[in-house]
Amino acid sequence: MMKDLRLESRLDTLTNKIEARKVQVYYGTNHALKDVDVNILDKTVTAFIGPSGCGKSTFLRCLNRMNDTIPACRVEGLLTMDGEDIYDPRVDPVQLRAKVGMVFQKPNPFPKSIYDNVAYGPKIHGLTRNKAELDEIVEKSIRKAALWNEVKDRLHAPGTGLSGGQQQRLCIARAIATSPEVLLMDEPCSALDPIATAQVEELIDELRAQFSVVIVTHSMQQAARVSQRTAFFHLGNLVEYGETGQIFTNPSDPRTESYITGRIG
Amino acid sequence: MNNDRHIARAFDRDLEAVQALVLRMGGLVEAALSDAAAALEDRDDALALRVREGDTAIDALEEQVNSECARLIAIRAPAASDLRTVLSVMKIASSLERCGDYAKNLAKRSVVLGTMQPIPGAAGSIRRMARQVGLLLKNALDAYIARDIGLAEEVRQQDQDVDQMYSALFREFLTHMMEDPRNITACMHLHFIAKNIERVGDHATTIAEQVIYLATGSMPGEARPKGEAVISGDAG
Repeated sequence: MMKDLRLESRLDTLTNKIEARKVQVYYGTNHALKDVDVNILDKTVTAFIGPSGCGKSTFLRCLNRMNDTIPACRVEGLLTMDGEDIYDPRVDPVQLRAKVGMVFQKPNPFPKSIYDNVAYGPKIHGLTRNKAELDEIVEKSIRKAALWNEVKDRLHAPGTGLSGGQQQRLCIARAIATSPEVLLMDEPCSALDPIATAQVEELIDELRAQFSVVIVTHSMQQAARVSQRTAFFHLGNLVEYGETGQIFTNPSDPRTESYITGRIG
Repeated sequence: MNNDRHIARAFDRDLEAVQALVLRMGGLVEAALSDAAAALEDRDDALALRVREGDTAIDALEEQVNSECARLIAIRAPAASDLRTVLSVMKIASSLERCGDYAKNLAKRSVVLGTMQPIPGAAGSIRRMARQVGLLLKNALDAYIARDIGLAEEVRQQDQDVDQMYSALFREFLTHMMEDPRNITACMHLHFIAKNIERVGDHATTIAEQVIYLATGSMPGEARPKGEAVISGDAG
């Protein structure tokens, strides 16, 4: 197996953060995900790639129970985080989502100030006791999202007034303000220009020190650049999962090969 | 190996073009080697000169392969088997360029040897060895075209024979030199020629290994077979 030097130097252990066993997802009668078995490693960036409709976003949304909001959606199988069942009836999805943050394709800041966008999560989860603590969390999160220098003088201006790349970093700041353990990103750069994309990618690499990051992307090069593990989905199946360098130099499944080399598979 | 076409068909054309360049290089190198050996045996200085001049074309092709590959990497960001194709093309081109240099060197020495008393049987033996190595090179390139791991493995095995031919020649030249010190200059030249042809065989093996890498994604595991341990007194 090919060794990823970045992984070696930054990781002490390869512990599983999230484990999926025989996960099935149905939308009504449509069997959207079939028998997905995967271990998402802690403090690692995992990329999900695959053609549109392959189930990668569906699977991502299983990880913080976003699919709960879709009435016709049924999830079967076992999904655990740190060994605990995510779908246990005793688990509060809102609490779960504080631990498993999410960033979406299109930047979607609340129609509030930059400050309030980031302060929202800590406030509703009661993570702070006073204004000073809240200020601190807001600043720390915006700094982590590499946005501080650009917005520090206008924290009370509306978040929607920022540029697309800044808005996306604001959404990342909002997602990490609740100190999540896992950050899910659904095509976080597809609406961004190359510079903003590079900034978000750099950020992802820094966040890896603290969280497990799972990113869905249509850009093969982005998957190759930011992730240490790559999972390829096709027609609802997890076709191949492995070390990113290995997947991009010598994938074992011909469907993976066809997809990443841009062939008609 | 993936034989499907790319969705972007220009990508297929680019990959094919760069591989065609390498095959053209291979053809030129095979011809240079056999011509140089013929020039040595027939004491044909004109042919030797043509071989020396022809090396420029081989060098130019290598440069072209390298710049095409750089362009391909920059523009297409090849992955998986496409990436391995580009990497192996560059390695094979660099091996072939070295082989071209060895043929050129043979041609140079053949002109010098033409002014000396011939060593009986030597030029014929060298030519046989060159023919054998030329065949290895051809097989390695055929294996490359067909992505034929079996044939590539055969080339790897057959390089032993070349090593043995070299050892035999080495002993022969040593004997001639001990018999008559006036043979030393000619035999030294002949020895370098034999050594260089043996190195062409090594490059054929390298190409065969690239075929295996290209087809399987990993380099052949076990060390390639060695014909014989270093002979006592052998310089190389």
